[in-house]
Amino acid sequence: MGMFSLRGSRFWGFIALLLVLCCGLVGCDNPSGPVQVAHANMLPASTQQAPTALPTRDAPPGPRRLLIPAIGVNAAIEDVGIASSGDLGTPTRSPWTDTGWYMNGPRPGERGSAVIDGHLDRPGGLPAVFWRLREVRAGNEVDVINSEGKMLRFRVTDVEYYQPRDAPIQQIFGNTSGTYLNLITCAGDWIPIQHQTTLRLVVYTTLI
Amino acid sequence: METKKSRLSWGGMALLLCGMCALTSLFLAPGPRALAATPAFVRIIHASPFVATADIFVDGSPFLTSFGFGAVTDYKAVPPGSHKVQIALEGKGIAASALTQVFSVQPGMVYTVVATGTSASTLALKAFIDSNLATSGNAKVRMYQLSPDGGWMSIQANSKYMTGASYLQDSGYFTLSAGSVTFTLDSAAAGKSLSMSMTLPANTVTSVFAVGMFHGNPKAELVSAQTTALPGLPQTGSDPYAVVSNSNGPFGAPWLLIALAALVVGGTLLTWRLFARDKG
Repeated sequence: MGMFSLRGSRFWGFIALLLVLCCGLVGCDNPSGPVQVAHANMLPASTQQAPTALPTRDAPPGPRRLLIPAIGVNAAIEDVGIASSGDLGTPTRSPWTDTGWYMNGPRPGERGSAVIDGHLDRPGGLPAVFWRLREVRAGNEVDVINSEGKMLRFRVTDVEYYQPRDAPIQQIFGNTSGTYLNLITCAGDWIPIQHQTTLRLVVYTTLI
Repeated sequence: METKKSRLSWGGMALLLCGMCALTSLFLAPGPRALAATPAFVRIIHASPFVATADIFVDGSPFLTSFGFGAVTDYKAVPPGSHKVQIALEGKGIAASALTQVFSVQPGMVYTVVATGTSASTLALKAFIDSNLATSGNAKVRMYQLSPDGGWMSIQANSKYMTGASYLQDSGYFTLSAGSVTFTLDSAAAGKSLSMSMTLPANTVTSVFAVGMFHGNPKAELVSAQTTALPGLPQTGSDPYAVVSNSNGPFGAPWLLIALAALVVGGTLLTWRLFARDKG
């Protein structure tokens, strides 16, 4: 077999297909890549189970579960405060699969801006709970099960990307003109020297 | 010829698929967007000894009614851009406005707007840009000197000198530990002091306003407003290049690399053999 054969169109077709497959796999490591991966807390919308978490007498007063049917999120909610850096804290019990409600702000359903954050990915690039948050669009529904077991339904009104230092913090955390729930995760490219991504994704929702 | 056409078409389609993948990923990549719809946030304090209780109109519509001297509002969302602000004595109506001023606010910015002035000619609005970002675990404080005859005033916290400010200036933010505190503001010009005790919770921003007249009415006093400090946006991404142990299960990074390598090697060998067979 000569080199001429290897340079034939069929050969390069195979190579191109291999590249497509490789891109698909490597894309799992790219936080910006549009990849759909289901895991324990990211069930496909069609297989979403009705939430079974009910409050107990010792349950904390914060919200309990977050559901985003459009992207298959059904996650527990932890209470988070302010980290030593001054930034919003992130979930600690199950950092990759839980979400974190900012407990110094209003609860979802109360007047003001309730905030829930979640990790985009895990070390090594595998998806975390808010991996698919970028796929959420205006009009999608977001549900929260509160500490009394009641479901509160919100509707996505806007999806915005911000540079971390340029984000409208008062709008995200301190807008009291309505009853809001804002979801936050990271986006953009990883900056190794800063150990963070270039952008933050904020999904704005309003109680319906 | 048919075989050659078929091969060309097949290879071309695969390359086209590659191109489409690249273009799709390009268009799906997020980027910063304009903040056109982002409101500004404004709170107002009435610190004008000239106007008693007032009504405030913004862009011709009532914004605040029965707004008394020394009162401070919460932050309210306001569309960015220019707004016509008018202040009139309570119940007199917008036509009797004592002040009309066009005021411009930027999207996402946070303002304290002060109604100030001791006469009709000096009645005005003065804006301060606020920052309610938290300093973790501590309390932030800023003093606003709004007393027309107070001159330069110093502020002490539990008898410890912190900073000071001239009329219509602010002290800048300073940080205190959470807990009880007594603020004392000294006016060298008036030779008098004002004092106020309060509790500073962690992760709050406290504003201390000196308002009123040391020599005249309404009398000089301290007014405070406390708001919850706001955190910065969290870092929720992880190092995609981090080496992860295989304790993460079958989808850990080492398995991914092994699978990728196997796919490439296997695919190349298969391709090689197929072409070798074709040639043979």
